[in-house]
Amino acid sequence: MTRAVRVRFFATARVAAGRAALEWPVPDQGIPAREIVRSIAEAYPSLGRTLRACRFLRNGHYLDDLSERVRPGDEFAVHPPYGGG
Amino acid sequence: MSVRLSRRDLSVAAAVRELFAPGLGGVAMFVGRVRPDRADGRTVTSLVYEVDTVPALARLRAIEREARRRFGAERTVLWHRVGRVGVEGISVIAGAASGHRTEAFAAARYLIEELKRTVPLWKEVTARPSRRPPRRRGPARGRSAG
Repeated sequence: MTRAVRVRFFATARVAAGRAALEWPVPDQGIPAREIVRSIAEAYPSLGRTLRACRFLRNGHYLDDLSERVRPGDEFAVHPPYGGG
Repeated sequence: MSVRLSRRDLSVAAAVRELFAPGLGGVAMFVGRVRPDRADGRTVTSLVYEVDTVPALARLRAIEREARRRFGAERTVLWHRVGRVGVEGISVIAGAASGHRTEAFAAARYLIEELKRTVPLWKEVTARPSRRPPRRRGPARGRSAG
């Protein structure tokens, strides 16, 4: 059975993807975060360059190791470089 | 200790009230405002700030804790606007109060620099075509002197 991860895009990533969020199907056992990044880059070629500069979060926590798994029901956020102030 | 992500105007007076307390002789504050910058023939009219709220609030709180631990700041404010901010509007206030100015300045500086570097906030520029300055008229031609 396959369910989904909710992927959220911010700022330039949102513009490049043309949407703020999407549901990305993953198997119950989950997949490494880097696999989600790779498959999103394939599905949205316009995101390719942007993704290289992004940080990624799972359920609001930064993923320093993209071999960590993302499972159905998780939220996966894509953060381009920050620009507050 | 006060962190805030606000869709309403930020108030310097409210930040001062938050920072003033008996015994705190040094209060330092950075206030960021939107500049009417010009670039590529366009003039900025507003900035629209976007945030990922949950990790942003967590980062703001962590920055404040570290400012207190590292510099001994006893009171701090770290407030940022979300949504549209017009030219000359306040986008951010970072302030610290301590016994003396050295610690207050250092803490306030740390607050704003860490916010810019590590808090998931982004700005989108709204701009309009710049008005060209009026052409200066050169000296009249084809007329004889006198």
